[in-house]
Amino acid sequence: MFASIRSATLLGVQGRPLDVEVHVGVGLPGFTIVGQPDEACRESRDRVRAALLSSGMSWPNRRITINLASSSERRGGSGLDLAIAVGLLVAQEVIEASSCVDLAFVAELGLDGSLRSVPGVVPLVGALHDRDVVVAPQCAHEARAVASRSARAVSSLGELVQCLLGHQPWPSDLPSNHDSRGLGAIVSALDMTDVRGQPAARGALEIAAAGNHHLLLIGPPGSGKSMLAQRMVSILPNLDANDGLLATMIHSAANLPIPDSGLIRRPPFRAPHHSASMIAMVGGGTAAMRPGEISLAAYGVLFLDELGEFMPTVLDALRQPLEEGVVHLSRAKSAVTLPAKFLLVGATNPCPCGEGTPGVCICDDRMRQRYLRRFSGPLLDRFDLRVAVNRPHVDELLAKEPGEASHVVARRVVAARDIAIARAGCLNSMLTADLLDEYAPLTRGARQLVRAQLERGQLTGRGYHRIRRVARTIADLRGELDSVDEPHIAAALALRVGLLPAFAGNQS
Amino acid sequence: MNAGPINCEVVYAAALAALPLLGPQRLSKLLNSHEPSEAWAVVRGEHRAHPSIEALLSRQFLGDKIRHRATDEHLNATASKCAVGNMRVTYLGAADYPQSLAVDIAPPAVLFWRGDITALDQRRVGIIGTRAATAAGRFMASQLGFDLARNEVAVVSGLARGIDAWAHRGAVNAITRIEDHPQSFARPIAVVASGLDVVYPRENAVLWREIAEHGLLLSESPPGTAPEAFRFPLRNRILAALSEVLVVVESRATGGSMITVEEAQQRDVTVMAVPGSPRMTSAAGTNLLLQQGCAPVVEVGDVLVALGLDNRRSFPNTFDPRRTPSERDRAVLEAFGSEALTLDQLIVRTKGELVSTAVTLGRLEADNWVVNNAGWWEAVGQNRG
Repeated sequence: MFASIRSATLLGVQGRPLDVEVHVGVGLPGFTIVGQPDEACRESRDRVRAALLSSGMSWPNRRITINLASSSERRGGSGLDLAIAVGLLVAQEVIEASSCVDLAFVAELGLDGSLRSVPGVVPLVGALHDRDVVVAPQCAHEARAVASRSARAVSSLGELVQCLLGHQPWPSDLPSNHDSRGLGAIVSALDMTDVRGQPAARGALEIAAAGNHHLLLIGPPGSGKSMLAQRMVSILPNLDANDGLLATMIHSAANLPIPDSGLIRRPPFRAPHHSASMIAMVGGGTAAMRPGEISLAAYGVLFLDELGEFMPTVLDALRQPLEEGVVHLSRAKSAVTLPAKFLLVGATNPCPCGEGTPGVCICDDRMRQRYLRRFSGPLLDRFDLRVAVNRPHVDELLAKEPGEASHVVARRVVAARDIAIARAGCLNSMLTADLLDEYAPLTRGARQLVRAQLERGQLTGRGYHRIRRVARTIADLRGELDSVDEPHIAAALALRVGLLPAFAGNQS
Repeated sequence: MNAGPINCEVVYAAALAALPLLGPQRLSKLLNSHEPSEAWAVVRGEHRAHPSIEALLSRQFLGDKIRHRATDEHLNATASKCAVGNMRVTYLGAADYPQSLAVDIAPPAVLFWRGDITALDQRRVGIIGTRAATAAGRFMASQLGFDLARNEVAVVSGLARGIDAWAHRGAVNAITRIEDHPQSFARPIAVVASGLDVVYPRENAVLWREIAEHGLLLSESPPGTAPEAFRFPLRNRILAALSEVLVVVESRATGGSMITVEEAQQRDVTVMAVPGSPRMTSAAGTNLLLQQGCAPVVEVGDVLVALGLDNRRSFPNTFDPRRTPSERDRAVLEAFGSEALTLDQLIVRTKGELVSTAVTLGRLEADNWVVNNAGWWEAVGQNRG
């Protein structure tokens, strides 16, 4: 009359195992779920009942109690459907309890008894590392990528019962017909060869990729800001196994398509529209704390087009994750920490009229200043690279020779990243001030140049360290590993333009 | 009422100017026919109005509203505002009303000023232009202002953002460095649209004060007047009236500067323009003027000749303290022409490479040959003879 079946629920990007306890006993017929279930969980009563009946099994006309143990926090999701159904069958002694001790069940049930995938299969299966997990066939490839034991894909409740009774062998690995070639595949097909001219912007992209420096592109409409940003991922190296697994878990938890291999290997690219809400950006919102765009972009690129149109509060919410690489979400009932280590690429118009070029632009200094003041200083400060891009000249667009291909650039990027990691154990953008003195000593010329900029008030103390980090990356890319020299600093300065208009003073 | 040493008529004039609904044009009409004290009585309904303005004042609402506000308190408040703001007042017909405006076709009926009204007795050149100026334009304006001041020619301008402010900065710079050059310098003249105690735009507050200190700050708006849009074209007519020669440094094909030019042309004031690249909208207006036959200005001598001054008196070109750029740096500097370029465009144009171009730019910027405006680089002041 009692059964305990293993399943798991999702919180943030982590699965947490739990036991679904089922009791079928005497009393008035009824069905209760206890243990703080959420709405989707309570609805499972109707789904499970229909699924059992459709599969030719009986619904016990007795008192049914389900407990989601332990009941200390709110549990949610439809992924417990299958565990509840199996629990009922065990409690009714249709199935022997012993056949389930080594199994866990993660799937939603259709009214016809079919198994459906649920969000977060990857973290859920990952959390059930000591059991074989039964999942829906649609998410078998994801489950197999993380399962430490085997993942069994079963298409319906009826089939599952036959397997559990031993009347039928477990299905072998079916070839997945799940098509996940979504936006990710299209984006990664974009190549840097399409970028004609724009040497500084290309250089900035390469430096950003090599040192994980956040990049702000400033330019009029049609200057190729989005085009450049979309090609950023094409010059980033593949994710290592650990980062790939984390990225897969995050995508799975957000119910986004996962490649057929089951693991994400290419850095993700996320470009949320500027109407994005705070929750959409940083995550949370649902009881399961769905990861936001910054987590989905983790280990990849977060591209914010029309940066100035985002809500200021949303932009400022990025500051802490940018600094720490994680985002802490706290709610009354739960608190989670989600990964948020992304490369930020922003794009904005230079001024209200959009033209930007002095002499062509019709905005006075005050208007330009006010436009760029929409971004808070601390946010702007976090862009190590700030580059103005203009519409390319016709000759450049029609140039016969294509730009350098992504794989060529990526080779240099990987080399520079390897150098940085071998030297300090992290990419250059993460170098702390004391490490900078050790790994990026300035030559005399470089020191003079920096001093001049500081004295002219064009460089702040914080900007000084950022310039040195970028200069370190530039030197790494050029294979000049000893110290940071004047040209590297000059290039770093030229690629981090001040956003307040400078004046030509009277020299007289 | 305690008007102190101020002439009573002047107080009435100021109070009339500060009345609502009595804009510059209605005010002129009123003061053309009456002395200020009499006009005050007219608007209060205590004196018979001259037939030419009777119709105006008898219009319902208008006459009532003006009458309603024309109280003794208003008179006192205006007087004390002027006193607090250290403002002087004159009106058309008064002995101290500037001659150069009295002969104008549309003289302001009442003038508020701060500083030294005798600044108007100097030779005067108007320097005007767009608010959205390029670095080269700002440089040209400030250089012209400086050079004119050194040649004892007063700079007249409107204290707007961009060209206006930079012309005056140049002129004020010439004065504040008087210790270095023991010569006499021209005092700058500014004509503003708002009240003299309403600094607009705010970022020119220092300049505003300096001009009142070293020269003359002038307005036909009473104290406390906000910078309302309709006042700027009216201000421009005074600017044109006070200029013997009007120099347009940079202007789009439409806008405030072109209004001033029209006002100047109505007054037979010589208009001159600084040529610019045909690709820049900020030079479209000035180039149009040149097409129409205005004389070009490339250095201060051109303006001095137009004033009929001996241009040999003009100082030799100002000593340029900037380090002469090296051959290679000069090549980059020349690539600019008169345009503003992004780093991208500059690299493509010089067929250079990112790092070396950045090094060159860094050097040129340190020596003030180029400036960066939110990612766009501009060369400044290289086309001087």
